[in-house]
Parts: sequence; structure tokens; C-alpha cells
Amino acid sequence: MEICDLNVWYGGNHVLKNINLKIPKNVIFAIMGPSGCGKSTLLRAMNRLLELNPTAKVSGQVMVDGINIYSDKIDVTWVRRQFGMVFQIPNPFPHLSIYDNVAIGPKLNGLTKSKSELDQLVRWALEKAYLWDEVKDDLRRPAAALSGGQQQRLCIARAIALKPRIILMDEPTANLDPVAAMKIEELMLELKEDYTIVIVTHNPQQAARVSDYVAFLYLGELVEVGETSQVFTRPINKLTEKYVVGRIG
Amino acid sequence: MNTDKAFRLSLFFFTISSFIIVASIVVSLIATSYPIFMRDGLSFIIRGAWNPVREDYGILPALLGTLITSAIAIAIALPLSISLAVFSSELIPGKFKIIMNNISDLMASLPSVIYGLWGLFVLAPILHQFVMMPLHTHLGFIPLFSTRPVPTNLFTAGVLLAIMIVPFASSVIREAYSAIPYYLKEAAYSLGMNRWEVIRMMLGYIKSAIFAGTFLALGRAMGETVAVAMVVGNIMRFPKSLFDMGYTISSLIASQFPNAEVYEFMVPALYGGAFMLFIMGLAINLIGFSMMRRMVVHR
Amino acid sequence: MSFRKIKERIMLGLIAILALLSAVPIFAIIFSVYFEGMKHVSLSFLIDLPPPPIGDKAGGIGPALAGSLILIALALAIGGTIGFFTGLFLSEFSHTKLAQQTQMILQIMVEFPTIIVGLFAYTVLVLPLKRFNALAGAFALAIVIIPYIALNVKEAYKSISFTLKEAAFSLGLSAPTAYLRVLLGAAKSGVLTALLIGMAKAAGETAPLLFTILGSTFTYFAGLDQPIHAIPLLIYNFALSPYERWHQVAWGASAVLLTIILTIFLVSRMIIRGART
Repeated sequence: MEICDLNVWYGGNHVLKNINLKIPKNVIFAIMGPSGCGKSTLLRAMNRLLELNPTAKVSGQVMVDGINIYSDKIDVTWVRRQFGMVFQIPNPFPHLSIYDNVAIGPKLNGLTKSKSELDQLVRWALEKAYLWDEVKDDLRRPAAALSGGQQQRLCIARAIALKPRIILMDEPTANLDPVAAMKIEELMLELKEDYTIVIVTHNPQQAARVSDYVAFLYLGELVEVGETSQVFTRPINKLTEKYVVGRIG
Repeated sequence: MNTDKAFRLSLFFFTISSFIIVASIVVSLIATSYPIFMRDGLSFIIRGAWNPVREDYGILPALLGTLITSAIAIAIALPLSISLAVFSSELIPGKFKIIMNNISDLMASLPSVIYGLWGLFVLAPILHQFVMMPLHTHLGFIPLFSTRPVPTNLFTAGVLLAIMIVPFASSVIREAYSAIPYYLKEAAYSLGMNRWEVIRMMLGYIKSAIFAGTFLALGRAMGETVAVAMVVGNIMRFPKSLFDMGYTISSLIASQFPNAEVYEFMVPALYGGAFMLFIMGLAINLIGFSMMRRMVVHR
Repeated sequence: MSFRKIKERIMLGLIAILALLSAVPIFAIIFSVYFEGMKHVSLSFLIDLPPPPIGDKAGGIGPALAGSLILIALALAIGGTIGFFTGLFLSEFSHTKLAQQTQMILQIMVEFPTIIVGLFAYTVLVLPLKRFNALAGAFALAIVIIPYIALNVKEAYKSISFTLKEAAFSLGLSAPTAYLRVLLGAAKSGVLTALLIGMAKAAGETAPLLFTILGSTFTYFAGLDQPIHAIPLLIYNFALSPYERWHQVAWGASAVLLTIILTIFLVSRMIIRGART
């Protein structure tokens, strides 16, 4: 995935300025920065979820496998299907069952042809998300009955059931207890085998633990991008250095 | 006694007056209707009769009329009020939203006698000419449409009630819809759903609010009096179709009570009808309120 | 275009059409009432006695208008007082069991069929006096408007910030002075709106008046224990009469009533908007 000259405005506020990024395949790419720096906005610009906000204006290009997703010819729902998204607050549909939460995406998008194929896909996604063993006996229970960590893994299952190219994660562990958060981090390392993962975090330690590449975003500007080991040990920019040792944010 | 204490006591006195009023209403309904239930027992409710000269009363046809007119009203009002709620909270920008909501509030505050007057002189003839007669002529073999309609009948009353209850049902649904957490909509869109699929998903999420709104509107429809009395036909007989003239409990009370004192059992009979209406309305509203509460817990 | 897209278009279009359709009646009603009614409304229409049913004699709704104004004032005096203090109680003692139960009772009263309230007023105020009377009508209307006023007054007092309440009581004021002199100012727009909502209800309700005030057509006001007339009742009676002339009067009376309701509605909207800015 490649982002070229991306600019975003909310009303008159210029919140993302000339962002240029290259994200390689099958890596975990972290975007870190203090709250309000535009991380979540950048993430939502990648799958055009930003368009839900009527005041948001976007210019620039986002290329996925050579296709500009901001091109006029591209259908926005198709774009969103290429990305799986996991949110800060675990947000399964509380009135649907565990099964239906995972099945709804493939069903609406016509990914499977038969009931048994759909069953298999749901099982596969739940296994991938390390949730199958905990819920296999009561898939018909409402999703609201699960714990916070389980709900977040259900959301991951819901995202990968769409067979996306890229998974976007918006501070996926911010609202979880440390044990549940650790489970999600382990899961991310596992999922890296098959997917490219872009994770937004305000916590530099998390970026250091899980990511291969990291970008530091500050006040809407991309300050530094590089391999995680390099950025954390030999940051080029003074601002980045201050941030990773915990003096900003 | 100091002023604070006196003040608090007077607040208490005013507050419990609502309880006293409601309790007195229930007591007066029971005390006045008691003779008819003692004399006729259940047959007062499960028979059809209205013969004051022979003091013979059975209110089943009016009960059926209440159920039929409110069923028609709900069937028509439900899709309209869901659409109105979704339209004003999802599909139009803020400025129009306020206008739509104001229109809806104005509909709710129009007196029912004005709805009745309009229903009698404008709506009934239009429905008669353009809806009921065509349905009867072409689909008269279906029992629902088998009666040759006159302008005022159960169907007209049902349609008028539908118009009257739309703002109530829709405001309950609207409130629930606009309280849907933003992150749920984001989740739905992130799965590649289009707008309609997201709306359908969100309607599923607030379905207890939709039920609650429906029940509260149903309660309104069953209790509405003057508008219905003006267009329902006011004849005591078993309705043979939707196009038959009839009575509802409340319109029966409205049109029979003025001469009821002349007879021995007519006043008890009408209070008995009112008591039935009260019980049905209370049950339906309690269901509606409990749905509303479940909706809050659900979040 | 895919089937999915077509379905989306159709459903969104259907929602828009049904929503706009549900707003059509209100405009149709307002149009009809003013189109049919305004032909008959004039100053003398507001003052005169109703015309005889046959013939083209001029006439008006004087007694009904006078009666409605008196009934509204009385209903507001009774229902407004009870409703206001109940609302104050609900706001300031909201933690008590009594407040929660009162809230429930008021919500049930809002949904109460008003015809039952009419029967009740007949039992307690018409039968003992052996005569239809203005007081019974006002009493019935008061019962109808109590829950509306109480619930809205509660919201008004609830919306006052806690620091303001603390400030009022820190001045060492007694509770009645604090609530009725100082804090009433802060809750003013909400309380006024509550009274206006009650007023609109009292002006438009018909069912509570059917068995209480009789509808004396030829006297304006003869005393609280005597029959009186009201606009909604006149519309109901005249609309159901077989006389063309009386139908015209019913339309004219509806135009007057609708104007009253619309005025109250607009004023309350203006108060709400004024309070926001």
C-alpha cells in the first residue's frame, strides 16, 4: 500500500499535511503519536471511512496493489471490503449472535455460496482469532454476553471473515485489561503471516513490542518513518527521540 | 413548624394528589360498572347486543371495533413512522432535520377534534372514492373488502388513527435511532455495507424501541375518542368486513352516554366498557414502558 | 449496476417517499381548515351567538370562545398548580421511591384515554351538583394536563446546574424562596413551555368535556356551577349535526382553534430557541 500527498481537512482545519507512506506486505506497521495528532484520521482515510463525516475533505492518493482507491470509478463499499477494521471500543453488534456477527459481512458481500461454506468460514475466522474454543458451544449467544477481550477478538474475526488484504487497527487494546491486551498482541503477530496490519497506538511501548515498521505522526505531520528497531534506537528527528523516551504525549 | 418543613409537606401533598386521582378513577370505574358485571358476568363482554329498552347490553362488537381500527392504524403507521424517523435522523442534513422534527411535533399537538372534522369532511370522501370503492369493486370477493362501503366506517377510522399516531411512534423510534453509538455505524460501514444495509442493521439494533413505540402508539389508538366517533359510523353490530360501520369502546361511550341516565343498566354498561378500555390500555402501556426500559439496559 | 445497489436505491427512495407521505396530512389539514374556515371568520363570528341551523343567518361562536378561555384559565389554575409542585418534587427528590412511582403514575396518566377522565368528572362533580357545570369541565381538563406540566417542569428544574442551586441555598434562603424566587428565574423558559403545553392540551381536548359542561349555546358565562360551552365541543356537535350551516360554523371554529394552537406552538418554540442561545 502506498499513500501519496494525502491531505485532510475538517471544515477549515488542516489535520493531515502531505502524508507520504509506503507500507510493505505482511508486516505490522504502527502509526504512533500523541492523542489528537491525526492517527485515527489517517487510518480512516485508508478505507475511506472518513467519508461518514460530512465535514471531512480529502485530497491525494491511496494506492492498494496499484489501484487508487480514491479514483472516481471505484465503489466505496468495495474499498472498505479490502480492509478489515478493528476499533478502539470493542464494537460487535450487540443484538446479533456471535455467529451472525462474523457471518454478516460474508453474507452481505456474497463471499460464500452455501450454508456449509459459510459455517466453515465462520469457524475458520473464529479459530484465527483465537476465539473458537471459547465460544464453539454457544455460537447463538448474543455477542453482548462476551467479555471485553472476547468481544475484541470477535471483532477481529468479523474483520478477517471478509478475507481483506489489509487489517486496520485503531488502538485495539486501549479499552482492555493487560491480559486481554497481551492476547490481542500475540494474535497480531500470528496474523502477520497472512495479512498486512496497520495499527494506530498512542503507546510507544506497544509499537516497539509488535511492529516491524513505525511512523511517528505529530500535529498532522509525518515526522519520521522507518524500521522499528532503527526508530527506537537511533531516531533521526529530535521530536521522535523525545516521544519515544516519553517526554511528549 | 419552620417554612422548609411546611414547603416540603405541601410538595408532598401535591405529589400524592396524582395517586389519589388515579386511584379514584379506578374506584369510580369499578364501583359504577359493578352492577352490570354482577348481573351479566362475562356475557357482557363476549356477546353483541345494545337494546336499552330491554336493558340488554353486550360490548363485544365495540371491543372488536377497537381492535380492528387500532390494527389498521398500526399496520399503516408502523412503516410510515419508521421511515419518518430514519429519514429525519439519517438521510437529511441538520437544518431540515429540525424542520422535520418540528412538523412531527406539530402533528402530535393538533387537537383530535380537528383531525376528526378533517377526517369526516375531507379524508372520508377521498378514501371512499379512491380507495375503498375500487377495492370493493375489484377485490370484493376477499372477505375483508366484501361490504359495500359508505364513507364513514372502521377502515376510515383506522386510517385517520394511523395519521394521528405516526408522530408518537416516530418520535420514540427517532430518539432511539439518534442515540445509536457512532462506533456501531462505523463497524457496519467498515464491513462494506451500503447505506441501506447499515440502516437495516441499525433498525435491528433498536428493535425494542420500535416495539415500544408501536405499543405506545397502539395505546393512543385504542383510547382515542372524538376523532374516531366522528368517522367510524357508530352502529352496534358485528363488523362483517373492514368496510363495515361500527363502534369502538370509546366512541360507544361518547355517543351513548348522553342518554344513558334514562336506563337502569346503561350507565354501568358504559362504565364497564370504560373499565375494559382502561385495563387494555394499561396492559399495553406497561408492555411499552418495559420495552423502553429494556432498551436502556441493553446499552 | 449491481442488484445490491439497485436494492439500496429502491429502499432509500421508499423511506424518503413514506417519510414525506406521513407529513402530507398535517399540511392538508391546515390548508383545509383555513380554506374552509376563514370564509366564515370575522370579528362578529368571534362574539355572536351561533346561527340557527336552517337559513343563512349570520352568527358566531361567542359563547364557545368565552367558555374555552374560562375553562383554559381554570384548568391551568388547578392543573398548573398541582403539576408545577409535582414537577418540583420530582426534580428535587428524584432519589426517593415516591418520586419514581409518581413518575410512573404520570406516564400512565399521559396515556390515559381522556374519555375516562370525562366519565370520572361526571361522577364526582356533575352527579352531586345535579347539573352540568363549568367546574366539572375544568376539573377534567386539569387532570388531563397535570402529567404534561409535571413532567416538563421536572425537566426544567433538572436542567438548572447544581452550582447554581448551591449558590441559592448558600445565601441562607428558605426552600420556598430559593425554589420559587431565585431558581424559578433559571428554570423560567422550561416552566413557561410546560404551561404552554398544558394550555394547548386544555384548549384542544374534547372528550373530557362531552359529559361535563353540556355546551350551553346561548349563554357566555353564568357561573362555575352552570353549564358552559367550549370550541372543541362545538366543533364536535356541529360537525355531527345534519345541517350545512352548522358545518360551516364548525369549520370556522376550527380555524379559530387551530390559530390558538399554532400560536401556542410557535411561542413555545421561540421560548425554547431563546433559551438555547
